[in-house]
Amino acid sequence: MIGRQFKPGEMVDFVVVGSGAAGGVMARELSRAGFTVLVFEQGPRLGPADFEHDELKYWFMSGITVDPKISPQTFRASPDVEAKRAATQPALYARLVGGSSVHYTANFWRFHEVDFKERSLLGSIPGAAFEDWPISYQELEPYYTKVEWEVGVSGLAYASPFDPPRSKPYPMPPMPVKSSGVLLERGARKLGLHAYPAPLAVASQPFKDRPACISCGFCMGFGCEARAKSSSLYTSIPEAEATGLCEVRSASYVYHVDTNARGRATGVHYFDQQKRSHFQPARAVVLSANGAETARLLLNSTSSRFPHGLANSSGMVGKHLMFNQGGDVHANFEHELNEYKSVQVSRVIHDFYDADLKRGFYGGGGIDARINPQPAIWALASGGNLPRWGADFKDRIEAFPRSMVAAGHTTSLAVATNSVSIDPTLKDAWGIPAIRVTYKDHPDDLKMAKFMQDRCAEIMDAAGAKHVWRDDIAEQSYGVHLLGTCRMGNDPESSVIDKYHRTHDVRNLFLCDGSSFVTSGRGQPTMTIQALAFRAGDHIGQFAKRNEI
Amino acid sequence: MSSQDDQDEISRRSFLLSSGGMFTSLWIASHWPGIAAAAHHAEEVPADLTPAHFEFFDAADGADVDAICAQIVPSGATPGAREAHAVFFIDRSLSTYFAPMAPEYRKGLAEFQSQFKAVQSGTAFAAATPEVQIAFLKTADKSPFFETTRMLTVLGMFTSPKYGGNFQGAGWKMMGFVDQHAFSPPFGYYDANYAGFVPYGEPYGEKHA
Repeated sequence: MIGRQFKPGEMVDFVVVGSGAAGGVMARELSRAGFTVLVFEQGPRLGPADFEHDELKYWFMSGITVDPKISPQTFRASPDVEAKRAATQPALYARLVGGSSVHYTANFWRFHEVDFKERSLLGSIPGAAFEDWPISYQELEPYYTKVEWEVGVSGLAYASPFDPPRSKPYPMPPMPVKSSGVLLERGARKLGLHAYPAPLAVASQPFKDRPACISCGFCMGFGCEARAKSSSLYTSIPEAEATGLCEVRSASYVYHVDTNARGRATGVHYFDQQKRSHFQPARAVVLSANGAETARLLLNSTSSRFPHGLANSSGMVGKHLMFNQGGDVHANFEHELNEYKSVQVSRVIHDFYDADLKRGFYGGGGIDARINPQPAIWALASGGNLPRWGADFKDRIEAFPRSMVAAGHTTSLAVATNSVSIDPTLKDAWGIPAIRVTYKDHPDDLKMAKFMQDRCAEIMDAAGAKHVWRDDIAEQSYGVHLLGTCRMGNDPESSVIDKYHRTHDVRNLFLCDGSSFVTSGRGQPTMTIQALAFRAGDHIGQFAKRNEI
Repeated sequence: MSSQDDQDEISRRSFLLSSGGMFTSLWIASHWPGIAAAAHHAEEVPADLTPAHFEFFDAADGADVDAICAQIVPSGATPGAREAHAVFFIDRSLSTYFAPMAPEYRKGLAEFQSQFKAVQSGTAFAAATPEVQIAFLKTADKSPFFETTRMLTVLGMFTSPKYGGNFQGAGWKMMGFVDQHAFSPPFGYYDANYAGFVPYGEPYGEKHA
């Protein structure tokens, strides 16, 4: 799809930085509203023919993820120690057109009503910057429905007793159940729990111009070769380009948002593929670069007027990073499951979604039944005194077709010292100061993960597992859910954006991605990121039409 | 911190990190150098593994590493690391995309060899009996060198054959992974016998916004 191609330096209505889950939707909504939109994506544009079933490339060699060779990051567990480069990128995301929506698992849970108002319901929590969202589930509901029908989500409405209210059913039936789903449901029903068909951003039947999933099994960490995964790459981006008003400029890395003497954004500076710097003017700027890169871009966009970074008068830019926690167990069964076939997940349990302070700690989550990771990752999995070599190790590996994972996905509390900041010395391959991640799980997050892991083990036992094993719950040193770093709020002193995603400080600068989150949800953020983007696009378009930008 | 220090730190950590949890293992090597034409390099996979094909190892080193691999995943009724050409994968990877860890790997191998020879009167590891090899490995299986060899053996058995290991899909056959581009249900035993989803019904029923 060839969209509009703007001339060098040509003024556009909106620059959108980032082409992932949020950026794609922003581009689609603003261009369909009649505005000219230029989307910048630092990574390349790839298509179905470029993606492979190649575990080594995507899981071990930064095939499409942010590459530490050119985009290094540092990590520290607390602000009083020096951050160091780590073996794993602390803020891990996919770097290509479509962003992390290309390689995500596509679990598409809506948030529940409680997610938006837990602070009011539960009170404050020591060590956490625990706040309500400035919007309610009801305000976001129409946009969740829009995601399901415009982007394409399969599922079974009203199947979970714990689902929040919805205005429409899903546009597609759920994907076929897998053996892991059958076993999760079997264990759950025995324990009085309620497993239900997983909502997935995967086409279970032909949807718009896309074919149905071919059940190849390479979802998590891989780009979809069938165009069945509802990535921005296959949905919102081509739809934005089809308006004739939107250009997606790939291999173009925005490193600075420019402002004028009146404190308005005037455009962005970016590097093209040859590392030449250019200025792109815009009437308004939207950052959807993900929860790490949006914060970094603001913090790097200093000027005499904004010496501590753009939109940062509150000092909150980069703070309150949340990764989500989780606790898994592996389980082996008598017969073959062959979990490497088809999508990752086919059943989900939300019985433990709500926090219950009677447990003695804050937290909530969901459990899903899923594929073991791909063959090499499976063989490297550890925990529970598993054999590491020899005939016993081989026996364990040969259990691959008979095994599954019950995975808990849980809350992370917002902690002020957990953050994305700018490393004082490290620079990337373009000479731009690099991301420094500071992160230590709140104690309640670890307790909740352990609680959920225990529930997973009980369910697998009830399902008749022959062998259940687990890793210890550990503090996280990297995340793939990058949330909370430019939180939404009504108070300009404690938040970065207002409820319409406009920065409190700069009238024509908007932020929409995982950074907007006030709380973490229960570990499947992309559905809510996209609902926020549809809502933000709607409101920003109206502001623009009323000349209120 | 200088860039060389950074590299040293990364190299050291990658060397030590191979026994962590699932996600640790999963992302352990995500910092390792990019593909760098590795796939093209590995396109011509010889049917017979001979020392002539080694690029990183000499014949004696290759034989020792092959013997270690063969104890990590032994041969038997199903293929092991030897049939999957794991040592060939290791050789190729250390001379290309995993080259940054190669100097430390070579050092670790030399230490392993000298420790073995010290207790086995100068015999090479590859020349020892399986019983002797296993007994020694039980004393040496906590070392970074062994952990790295273990991880590379796994990668060499279970990742795409185009990288030089997993010869003719031997590793996948051993573990029961079918390399096929599309599947249809039923996928396994339990979903083939599933009666269908029974709704939980009232009191929940249909809720509308």
